[in-house]
Amino acid sequence: MLNMALYKREMKGSIKLLVIFGAVITMYVSIIIGMYDPELMKTLDGFVEAMPEFMASVGMKAHAATLLGFMVSYLYGFILLIFPMLFCILRGNALIAKYVDKGSMALLTAAPVKRRTIAFTQMKVLISGIVLLILYSTGLELVCAGSGFPGELDVTALLMLNGGLLCLHLFIGSICFLSSCLFSDTKYSVAAGAGVPIFMYVLQMLANVGGDAEKAKYFTFFTLFDPDGILAGAGQAAAGIFILLAGAAVLYALGTMIFDRKDLHL
Amino acid sequence: MSVIKVDGLTRDYGGQKGVFDVSFHVDQGEAFGFLGPNGAGKTTTIRHLMGFLKPKAGSCTIDGLDCWHEREQVQARLGYIPGEISFFEDMSGTEFLKFIAEYRRIGSLNRRDELLERFALDPKGRIKKMSKGMKQKLGIVAAFMHDPDILILDEPTSGLDPLMQSRFIDLIAEEKKHGKTILMSSHMFEEVERTCDRIGIIRNGRMVAVDATAALRERHTRRYTVTLGNEAEARAFALDFNGVCNGLEVTVTTKQSLEEIFMNYYGGENHAEHGTV
Repeated sequence: MLNMALYKREMKGSIKLLVIFGAVITMYVSIIIGMYDPELMKTLDGFVEAMPEFMASVGMKAHAATLLGFMVSYLYGFILLIFPMLFCILRGNALIAKYVDKGSMALLTAAPVKRRTIAFTQMKVLISGIVLLILYSTGLELVCAGSGFPGELDVTALLMLNGGLLCLHLFIGSICFLSSCLFSDTKYSVAAGAGVPIFMYVLQMLANVGGDAEKAKYFTFFTLFDPDGILAGAGQAAAGIFILLAGAAVLYALGTMIFDRKDLHL
Repeated sequence: MSVIKVDGLTRDYGGQKGVFDVSFHVDQGEAFGFLGPNGAGKTTTIRHLMGFLKPKAGSCTIDGLDCWHEREQVQARLGYIPGEISFFEDMSGTEFLKFIAEYRRIGSLNRRDELLERFALDPKGRIKKMSKGMKQKLGIVAAFMHDPDILILDEPTSGLDPLMQSRFIDLIAEEKKHGKTILMSSHMFEEVERTCDRIGIIRNGRMVAVDATAALRERHTRRYTVTLGNEAEARAFALDFNGVCNGLEVTVTTKQSLEEIFMNYYGGENHAEHGTV
């Protein structure tokens, strides 16, 4: 089902983006974990009191008691959502739709390789990239927290949290992949593959502000990833993660099926 | 035995575009020229044979295998040069050929080296920086290097200089000698005439003629016999106009251009329309 030659080529194509996003995540994660300091916490709480709507919209709440709570507030609302999401959008579009649009898909389809194999391989490339980013982030968090604040981090809880984060990004990746398989024109593939996740994130930001806007949370899949719920071990949070994972499986399969059956004007 | 078979193939893009009830076949070991002006439906037909498009009506088979449903089996035996080749531009030519070899799981690379030499192609440079002719050569090498027994070539000589065009035509002749089945599209009568046994002419999505090359040539050549004043003049005339000198008489032959051949098939009714094609 996997074509190794294609997989290797595409993984090479992912390296540049992985390095860039890895570097950005390194910078933010190390700075933010380094900022965990009861004294500095007061300053941040001061920001939250001064402009609660803005801080809440990017998922930052006051009085994060533990190191992990602090990380949830300052990393899992923006940094660790946005950068892997950008990776999904950029790679998702490039893996199928761009080749069809440019015509180089003809090189891949004019060979005794099933279209399903091509789509499956490209899906594996996208998933591999997502897994690498989340694994790297996890390792980085463990190193930063371990060196700065030995013994303060609940490792099991962090692993559970990042498992949930992985499912969220697999789902975002599946939206980008489906859109890439569906549209033969990069214009539309990007519009749907980037538009849907970004719009959903904006809704999430709105919902975080609270008040009437909180209802927006019923219209965005980001609600299904609930870091506080995961840390509290809530059943509802586990159900949300399961829905994300199942949704991702359905969308990846659907994308592959559509690519297998569609007309290619190559 | 027919290897490539197109039967009643139809795909309507609207506005007279597409292919309509196209039927033809190519036999084992035969070279078939697929001739038509730009936009006539050659590439659309070839896309169906390649399994890129699903026929709306009719069918395409290669060696009895359905080109859409059994495209992987068909592809295993096929070599293809697209009409407009789009490469992975981030690669060098060498990397590209290596990728295709691994992707298709080709064991031996002898054929690749032999083809590179034949077309005097140095594939080391970046594809992005290559000229149109170099890219075309690279496409030819990629299409032939797994030694396929069926070849589908969509305007394969475009961008090649006359020397390389003639080397390509030699290659086709060799392949034919080895019993390969060849479908080659072109908008140049001369090219197809030199290589193909039979020719099909398509226009506005419809096959207007399928005939043996010799018969077609015979039908569309005109001979004139001119009598000159003296033998010296006759020889000079024969030399200038590529004629055959016989005493004072010189016979010159003209071939009709593709345009004129089409005129012949369509007669007067589409005359005005043809002028705008």
